Amino acid sequence: MTSLSPTADRNPFAAALERLPFLPALLILVVLVVLNGWFEPNSLSYRAITGLVSTYLALMMLAIAQTYVVMAGDIDLSVGATLSLVNVVVIVLMERWGGGGGMVLLACFVGILTGLACGLINGLVVAALRLQAIVATFATSIFFTGVALYVLPVAGTPAPAAFWRTYGGRILEIPFVFWVVAALALLLVLLVRTRLTLQLLAVGDDAQGAFQSGLPVAAIRIKGYVLCGLFAALAALCITGDTASGDPLVGGKMTLYSVAAVVLGGSALSGGKGTVVGSLVGALIIGLINSLVFFVGTPSEWQNLVQGLAILIALMAGVFVGRRVGQ
Amino acid sequence: MTRLSAFAASVAAIALTASVAQADTFTIGLSNGWVGSEWRTQMIEEAQAAAAAWEEKGHTVNVVVQSANVDVPGQIAHVRNFISQGVDAIIINPNSPTAFDPVFAQAKEAGILVISTDAEVSSPDAIYVGIDQTAWGARGAEWLAETLNGEGKVVAINGVAGHPANEMRVAGYRSVFEQHPGIEVVNEVNANWDQAQGQQAMQNLLATYPDIAGVWVQDGMAAGAWKSIQDAGKTGDIAATGEIRKDFIDLWTSEGLNSGATVNPPGVMASALNVAVFMLEGRELKEPATAGQYGNAMYLPIPFIDSSNLAEAAAQLEGKPGHYSYTSALSIEDAEALFK
Repeated sequence: MTSLSPTADRNPFAAALERLPFLPALLILVVLVVLNGWFEPNSLSYRAITGLVSTYLALMMLAIAQTYVVMAGDIDLSVGATLSLVNVVVIVLMERWGGGGGMVLLACFVGILTGLACGLINGLVVAALRLQAIVATFATSIFFTGVALYVLPVAGTPAPAAFWRTYGGRILEIPFVFWVVAALALLLVLLVRTRLTLQLLAVGDDAQGAFQSGLPVAAIRIKGYVLCGLFAALAALCITGDTASGDPLVGGKMTLYSVAAVVLGGSALSGGKGTVVGSLVGALIIGLINSLVFFVGTPSEWQNLVQGLAILIALMAGVFVGRRVGQ
Repeated sequence: MTRLSAFAASVAAIALTASVAQADTFTIGLSNGWVGSEWRTQMIEEAQAAAAAWEEKGHTVNVVVQSANVDVPGQIAHVRNFISQGVDAIIINPNSPTAFDPVFAQAKEAGILVISTDAEVSSPDAIYVGIDQTAWGARGAEWLAETLNGEGKVVAINGVAGHPANEMRVAGYRSVFEQHPGIEVVNEVNANWDQAQGQQAMQNLLATYPDIAGVWVQDGMAAGAWKSIQDAGKTGDIAATGEIRKDFIDLWTSEGLNSGATVNPPGVMASALNVAVFMLEGRELKEPATAGQYGNAMYLPIPFIDSSNLAEAAAQLEGKPGHYSYTSALSIEDAEALFK
């Protein structure tokens, strides 16, 4: 992104890495795909890949959400809670309003508004009130979880069959989730071309400098959080499609996975460097690691340990490849 | 796309012929989404032992296990991994009652038998093989009402509010106590299935109601509650439900506690596995699994330990570690008796 860097003319690989910082992550992804295919050939079947995308689409969305705040040097520890809240809001509304097509769409729309509102609250707390992002969003995560528990106190309440059958089904012989991925790609391409992405990176790179050069830093950071809320809401719709039910705690464990995906994708938590594509790849890396741990036949009592180690190794490999190529 | 699906179809065809060629070999996937207690570890070990026992009957039952602390999407990934691997059956201790409907539908489409155990699921594409948690709650309450001769103040210490199993157990004991007008439930508290919280809750209850005669308490919290009862010097005056780990059974024996324990055996997964093998052989159940709130349950007998068979329970646990639970499971013969 920062094309003014002097390293650009050193060697072609370094230049490519400078423009596309997610290349090491992509390399790791390819290695993981090959390993998965090696240990379980079926894992590369059409059905298995559809399954992988259905399962991890929510994490991909959540990682993208996280990227927009990380770009500006912020963090959002409430993405998981936002996801849970949107999930229960959508489920409860669909139940109240009946499962008709129009009502389902309206419920999804209200869900997206809920996500935007959560993002706006975070943005105001962090950028306008100037509270430290990590603690402020930790606090709002507890608040959002509380609201989610109020909306739906117990996990359950099925989604209308039409809703999850669409998510798990096909349109024109192509799985619905692939259409979502295509729409997502289009949306991301459009967003990359907006000024906002560049402004977020500028703020993350040097907030003081950005301010002095006349950028409305607080407003930009708030926009980053609102965008984060939007994608967390989209992630919630994916979860709702894949689990067909409401759970006020469903996103809790996903927050740190989203941060991990962002970092695996080559973004810097300090801000100023990052791509949404990288985070998307990072989410897939996490998913493939989880499957690989099983496919290599890890005994059950070691599965958590090996999974943690594998994520660490992927992180180190990313740094290593980045340094090697960058020299 | 067409080439890909043609490829997938040929792969499926090969897989199909392979499984027909070796009809006596089954692969069963076990998924457990929470590893926070020894009970779950024991559950998986017993299921693995049950699979190994089929060797004597000339069957090869391979088990593949996925067991880790995962969220609901993580456990859905477990199921998808099993589908990719092409297992014949999946036995799952599910993290959610409703969230698996879509993925179980996909498993069924792939020709995989899905059985949930320990917690019921709403999916019409799965069956439940395990105990009826409502009956579990009722059994302890019946013992307590009998022991107290239908008279006295009772308190209840429950698990996690809103958890499906907890709600069923609560419904179970309430229905029993309602039939005994002499029993008065003076308070019901939640101690989140945590032994220390159970002990704390019991202390508070003893301080508030010095004249309670009975305690209905679940699982490991019972050991905590009994600790408080002993500390208060009321061991002889109070009857309270107990639990099934060796540590508690030993204490029960040595102190002569007035206790009775409803057993939720970790062997439920082993039972489910034996049922699964017969179903994979194409045998039909004498009574189809249609019980429970979702109409897909097959309930297993619930053992009960009281003073009359305490010595037997202690003997089963002889030489086991302190956290080991009293267990029971359908043997292969028991399971076969359920089929036509």
